[in-house]
Amino acid sequence: MNKTGIIFFPAFDWSLGEFHPEREERLLYTQEQIFEEGIMDLPQVKQYSPGVADLFDVLRTQAIFPDLQQHNLDAHLIAVGSSLVLGNALMKKEITNGFALVRPPGHHSGATVWGNRGFCTLNNEAILINVLRAKYGIKKIAVIDTDVHHGDGTQDIFYHDPNVFYISIHQDGRTIFPGTGFTEEKGGPNAWGSVLNIPLLPGVGDEGFLYALENWIMPAVEAFKPDLIINSAGQDNHFTDPLASMNVTARGYGKITEMIKPDLAVLEGGYAIEGALPYINMAIFLALAGEDYSGVVESQKPQNTEIGGDTIRSFLTDLKRTNEAVRPSWAFRKEPFLPTGDWVYSEKSIYYDTDGFKENRREYIRKCRHCGGTVLMISQKPSAFQKAVLVRIPFEACPDCEQAGYDLAETFQKSEKTVLLQNQRRDQVHFWTDGREVNPFGG
Amino acid sequence: MASLIGIDVGGTFTDAVMITNGVIERKGKIPTNQDDILNTLISALDYLQISEAKNIEMITVSTTLVTNAILQKRLPEVKLILFPGTGMKLSSLPWPVDYSVLTGVLDYRGRVVVPADQSEWQTLAEKLNKQSIKPLTAIVSKFSHRNNVFEEQLAAYLHREAPGIITALGSQSGQANFYRRSLTTYLNLAATELFQNFAYQLKMAVEARGCRAPIRVLKADGGVLPLAKIRPVESIYSGPAASVLGTLAQSNPEESYVVVDIGGTTTDIGLVLSGSPLISTHGAQIGPFLTNVRSLAVRSVSIGGDSAVCLEQGEVMLADYRLGPAYCIGGISPTPTDALRYLNLTDYGDLQRAEEALGLLLPENQRTASALRRTAQIIVGKMVEKIARAIEQLLEEWKTEPAYKVWEVIHHHDDFKFYIQLSGGGAPGLEAALENRMRLRTVLTEFSEVSNAIGASMAKPTFSWTLHLDTKFSIYRIEETGEQGIWTGPKKPHREVEDFLKELAQKQAVGFGIETDDLEKEIFDYFPLVENYHTVGQIVKGAMHVPPGVIGRIRS
Repeated sequence: MNKTGIIFFPAFDWSLGEFHPEREERLLYTQEQIFEEGIMDLPQVKQYSPGVADLFDVLRTQAIFPDLQQHNLDAHLIAVGSSLVLGNALMKKEITNGFALVRPPGHHSGATVWGNRGFCTLNNEAILINVLRAKYGIKKIAVIDTDVHHGDGTQDIFYHDPNVFYISIHQDGRTIFPGTGFTEEKGGPNAWGSVLNIPLLPGVGDEGFLYALENWIMPAVEAFKPDLIINSAGQDNHFTDPLASMNVTARGYGKITEMIKPDLAVLEGGYAIEGALPYINMAIFLALAGEDYSGVVESQKPQNTEIGGDTIRSFLTDLKRTNEAVRPSWAFRKEPFLPTGDWVYSEKSIYYDTDGFKENRREYIRKCRHCGGTVLMISQKPSAFQKAVLVRIPFEACPDCEQAGYDLAETFQKSEKTVLLQNQRRDQVHFWTDGREVNPFGG
Repeated sequence: MASLIGIDVGGTFTDAVMITNGVIERKGKIPTNQDDILNTLISALDYLQISEAKNIEMITVSTTLVTNAILQKRLPEVKLILFPGTGMKLSSLPWPVDYSVLTGVLDYRGRVVVPADQSEWQTLAEKLNKQSIKPLTAIVSKFSHRNNVFEEQLAAYLHREAPGIITALGSQSGQANFYRRSLTTYLNLAATELFQNFAYQLKMAVEARGCRAPIRVLKADGGVLPLAKIRPVESIYSGPAASVLGTLAQSNPEESYVVVDIGGTTTDIGLVLSGSPLISTHGAQIGPFLTNVRSLAVRSVSIGGDSAVCLEQGEVMLADYRLGPAYCIGGISPTPTDALRYLNLTDYGDLQRAEEALGLLLPENQRTASALRRTAQIIVGKMVEKIARAIEQLLEEWKTEPAYKVWEVIHHHDDFKFYIQLSGGGAPGLEAALENRMRLRTVLTEFSEVSNAIGASMAKPTFSWTLHLDTKFSIYRIEETGEQGIWTGPKKPHREVEDFLKELAQKQAVGFGIETDDLEKEIFDYFPLVENYHTVGQIVKGAMHVPPGVIGRIRS
């Protein structure tokens, strides 16, 4: 029996709109199910009350552009804050594991944030992970993202971070939002291999999922030797999910949880409000608490043909071979504003589907043999003619990279309206508007 | 002039008061006879020497009858029949009683997923018919608060096939939590006969004294209901509720404070936020039974003025039991009351004997005045520490209550300026020490020694109507009464649903003898039910309460 913590925060008064799949009814039936079952009365279970995250904790991990006042963050800060409550309880050894059953979700929210994408504004897991590192000195964390959608936001945040191993198993991005998460995406120049993407064929069910976990994901996690494992627990691989095409069952999710043994699970997506969520959440919860979940049976039966057997096994074997064959290829760039060192350059365009606009971003990463390397992101929201800059000095930064970060911040605060410096090494956040340092928290 | 009578049966003493127009006319304490609650109550009534019985408007009692019967395992056995459906295994939770299981599955909206199996019912009826005494039978199905079809059909079947059977249904207390609902239904059925006998005899005894006043019973949630309307199980733990209400009747109606009521064997602690007693988010627990009985958020600490003080490896310890009264009033064991007396913090009991009591805790050659004093201070300190920790725990529990809406979290803990409102036997002696330890202003309740009886006499009736409406299925349910009915209103109701609930509450309140002037409305939640981008209905959740409170204030 595990001492399991739970926070149930359904945000019943927060909604993106009546017809939106991420709506307030999403956790209504889960509440009916868990309250009726009496799981809060299990002797090993402790229910925690939701918390509100600190804006500092947000800005340590994500750059909120153009400033915090432009966003209504209340519900998001509670979803993050609730994850932090469980993180703190875990660190204080009050619990052996925990499940933050919260909405809104977070894993599509990346290093720079101009709005809501994929129903996410703040990244619950990423902020949690960096709090655990900053506050408790945790070194290595593995994130296993079992949402049907690629967790592009979490990948984005940790792409250059060798100490966070981000693993996502999801439906192939060519068939589903957000269209990323291919096996070639393996991490930045200083963190090659710290990202593992397993895009699955539509139709995969319990068998294929568990096969991938057993033969690929869990051995990779063991080799990484993380201090903590976090599960981005999306529930949309279920056979009834309206936005995806997978065939996983509630008991399959129970088994997945049993195999991953996450220290903390944080709810992500899952839009089969009636058919899947109440059952999967129960199964995950019971698996975390070390209870028998075999009695959790959906009222509907799977209808679609499942991709399993040899098809999925050989598919995964091929995918693994492809993954191992990928070699890094970096584009280096010299710019007048870049401090000394070799800077790898890339650019990306991020579409905010909920709000309907684009962000364009240029990224420079200082190639470094000693640390994760300082990162510079020059981000633009063309539709609003807005531009902003993020400079990130990573955890355990070497002195050269830290100096490079300070130099970049100094250069850009003169030329750009909005500049955020995240010094993760010293646990500091600085924000400049029009060349003047401001207190981003509005105080 | 009309008078109110309040009687609170406590662990050591039973308090009684008669109040006329907010003034205490008579008050007193008699020893409780735990083996005969009925006669204790009647003696308390007699103690008040009611001369003009016809002037008595109301008699309210808070009784430990059901609490004791449950804790002492004196209730008859009940056959518990469950339809657990799918989900968590029954064996995951500790069941303090035996149960049997039948086939049938409902889902969270009350839809039948797997129908019941009537051949099992036949076997059950045959078994029941073979027994010489038909057992009391509680029938509970998972999600019966959403649809009681299995429960009602089985009950009807058993009444037909096993005549003479007495049944109770889980849906009659229609709140979520199958486990707690099952145990509550079990306990309530088990306690029904005992309570009905008690109610009948109490009524007879009152009438024999020429009094026709209605008798009401205090509930764990601090409200009262007429003797004939209360569910027996709801009378558990009404003592702490009486403490909180007693304080409420003697303090400023706007303030926020911690109620600390020090009794002989237990100290009750409760919380009042801006004049409203805090209700627990979980149901009451009694012995090994978790119930869904609504109760005030209170803590009972097993420490009181009469707690035995003993030596353990040379160290003074407070026991969580009592060995009779304090030494200074003729008991056999030293107690905190003796320590308080010796320190001259109270004038209750004989000073000489208090000194002797403390002496018992020291070797003969060390019984100096300063050593006795130090021992007394240690005892008081330990008592205060135990109470202080319980206060801190209750405050912490309040701060960490679950919340399910953004609004609730953001507005969760507006600053309350707490102070401590102290009552009970040993209260005067502990005031300074508690104030010092908690760093909170501590105030003595005026009629401290009969505070609980005052609480009982002045308590208002309470009731809640929690509505769950599914307009897709056109079904509404009321949690507290278990009522399930057809909704004929629109698919997307708004104000209609609030009016509907209000009307229903007002109508039902009449039957309970409750006034609905201060019916409180909770914010209603509306969940759109969308299928294929069309709204097909709504689930509406909302509640109206007659909150706990008192009908007036005591004038000194």
